[in-house]
Amino acid sequence: MTTRDFTTYMKQLNEQLRNYFPSKDVWTPADDAIYKTDDLFRVPLKEAHEMQLKSIKHTFTYQYNNNKIYQNFCKERNFSPSDINTNDDLEKIPLIPATFYKDYPSGRDFATWLGNIFTGQLPKIIIPQKHPTYDEVINAFNKAGMAVAYSSGTSGRHTFIPRDQRTYYTSEYAAAKSVITMVYPLWEPSLNGYLLMPNPKKTNVYAGKVCTIYFDAIQDVKVAIDREITTELIQMTMTNQKGIKSSIVKLATKRQSIKMIDEIIRWLEYQEKTKNKIAIVGAPFILSFVMKKLEKEGRAFNFGERGGVATGGGWKAYEGVRVPVVDFRKQVEKILGIPEKFCVDLYGMVEGNGWLTHCPEGHYLHEPYNYFKGVVLDAENKPMGYGEWGRYAFLDAAAFSYPGFLMSGDQVRRLEHCPVCDRPGPVLEPEIKRAAGAEVRGCAEEVRRMLSADLSQDS
Amino acid sequence: MFTPWEIKQKEMVPPLRMLQMNIGGVFLLLKMLLFNLGTFKMLKNQKKNVYNRPTPTYSIPAYTPEMKHCVSEDKYLRPTLFCDCRAPEVIALAHQLGAYQKTDREYAEAVFEFAKRKIILEQHPIDDVKSILHRGTGTCLHKITVFIALCRAGGLPARYKFFALTLLDEWAAPALDHAPLLKQWSDAMGYFLLHGAGEVYLDGKWITADVGAEPARQASSWMPITKLGEDGAGLWLFPIPGSTIIRESIPLGLGIPSRILMNHLVPNSVAGLNIGILEQIEKGKKIIAEAGGEVAYDSEARKKHKKEMMKNELLKEHENIIFEAE
Repeated sequence: MTTRDFTTYMKQLNEQLRNYFPSKDVWTPADDAIYKTDDLFRVPLKEAHEMQLKSIKHTFTYQYNNNKIYQNFCKERNFSPSDINTNDDLEKIPLIPATFYKDYPSGRDFATWLGNIFTGQLPKIIIPQKHPTYDEVINAFNKAGMAVAYSSGTSGRHTFIPRDQRTYYTSEYAAAKSVITMVYPLWEPSLNGYLLMPNPKKTNVYAGKVCTIYFDAIQDVKVAIDREITTELIQMTMTNQKGIKSSIVKLATKRQSIKMIDEIIRWLEYQEKTKNKIAIVGAPFILSFVMKKLEKEGRAFNFGERGGVATGGGWKAYEGVRVPVVDFRKQVEKILGIPEKFCVDLYGMVEGNGWLTHCPEGHYLHEPYNYFKGVVLDAENKPMGYGEWGRYAFLDAAAFSYPGFLMSGDQVRRLEHCPVCDRPGPVLEPEIKRAAGAEVRGCAEEVRRMLSADLSQDS
Repeated sequence: MFTPWEIKQKEMVPPLRMLQMNIGGVFLLLKMLLFNLGTFKMLKNQKKNVYNRPTPTYSIPAYTPEMKHCVSEDKYLRPTLFCDCRAPEVIALAHQLGAYQKTDREYAEAVFEFAKRKIILEQHPIDDVKSILHRGTGTCLHKITVFIALCRAGGLPARYKFFALTLLDEWAAPALDHAPLLKQWSDAMGYFLLHGAGEVYLDGKWITADVGAEPARQASSWMPITKLGEDGAGLWLFPIPGSTIIRESIPLGLGIPSRILMNHLVPNSVAGLNIGILEQIEKGKKIIAEAGGEVAYDSEARKKHKKEMMKNELLKEHENIIFEAE
């Protein structure tokens, strides 16, 4: 069988994901950058910078004009859309601190807070409860056509983001496109997938929710965690709550977790036997536990170039222990037979819609620099040059329904170009740390806390 | 003892809304305790939190019968439940603070600063103004009672303002971190049951007075040090819409439940909470000192707070969000 050229490959992907394209009436320069570019990571720098300036300026202007809160925030810092004339000016855009989306009240106030963060015309939200819980508020918003999602830190404090469907689709498309680009020519619609995350239809955890597109990108997807995940459950597991209810939940989780590992192994056996092509997507630590079990039993598979692994959400395995990223890839090659080039990681945040993706050659994290601009800040939140360690911040032209100009709690080192591959844009070194004072976070961290106590006992 | 007539006249009957919220709160507390028997048991067996009450930094002057005080039986000037504005201790202190010597506003400000700064926040069952003054500590309800009693003793009409509220996380968390059960309760409710603030009648207007937060505690969260007339709402607390009640008196029926809860059900959590409050105060004192004193700190905090005003904007009602259960 001949390999499709890259243009045909991407054309086929776009046909497959046609429903994720925004309609003409809401099309923006950010959509030109995301949807019309075949390879987000190989846009010539001059062209990319033009797209970046145009798209970020357009989205900033939209946020400034349609979000009173953000407009006041900018006015206090004496900054308006007319101050943006060059790419360097983009770094002056007022950045919202990472804690902003975590500083929310409860009950009815939470609904009001969420509605006021939203940019643009909020659909009519009906909240029937007198004292609604977080989940009830989110469900009311999502029933009205929104895609509110969250992630959380170790304190159990969530980060809530009010995405509308349009922003959500763009985010999903960008994530899928980023991975599929990097694993060329692996993807095809007939792949068989395993999602190592909660079922997107049963959770509002963003790590799970953003994977809805996985079901549309390939034909058959199995889900590792197929139960409803609520903010209450996450809080229970993230904060190690005690009590009868918590104990019952943990006992049930333990049984499901053991079953989950065995089911993944059975699925791998079947796919090997039938010589199917596979794509495993999700939290790395789950696959790590699967591989440990296989290794313990002296078993291995040989999927070769018939398989790919895309991970995301953080690399913590146990309390205080990280899965070594390089070792993980080597383990994937050794136990599953999948080459390192088809084992990539994504770095993204619930607040953002730009997905930094490993290149297959050097596994550096590449920024989608034609609509998303990363900045590294020093201790006083001033931009630093390339090669320095600092707090990661970003300007996201694809955040339409909320202001996506943010400082994260992550410490990174950003390089002008990848030291290994020839893609022209900036990269982050694969090692990402949390800034001092910022709690451990990562979408996989939520899933890990739900499962790891039990999985680690088994390994 | 109050007669039924006085109970009605002095607004000591708890309003229905307050009753409903309190019953709901008790129900949630019981539910929370039932579902967290493990934690409850663990906390019972846990090392006891030892709270050392700070010694009052003031002394109550001796009372003499010639000290002028208000004897009016008019509404907002007479004694009410827990708020005996004619107690000798109250009259003596009012005299020391300038009652009938300063202008009304100056006196009200002196009383405000006394109740805010000298009475230190402590979770304690509700008791009367004399006990509070001798102890030097109390909840926001105790502190506002001191303010109201002193105002009334000095001839200034004063009244209570109660409401349920949510608090800024950074404000409540340091104390609640020491009291896991109370934290779970507040998480389960989604709000805190009761905050007591007050109002004093000056120059033809009711002026708000929230004496709940000591300057150092406000500094621990980089908040401006509020003065008489400045509201805590929007700063560190957010009243639950529709829960505000204005009354001449503290309602009946709060004393016994607060004693059961604090002295018998979760005394260790309450002690933990009080330890957390003292830690917050110590932290705030350091911040004020590092800023170069209270005036310099306050000016800096007000500048900073202006930038954070968007938090208030975020809680303004949104026309497209409809709450069916009004």
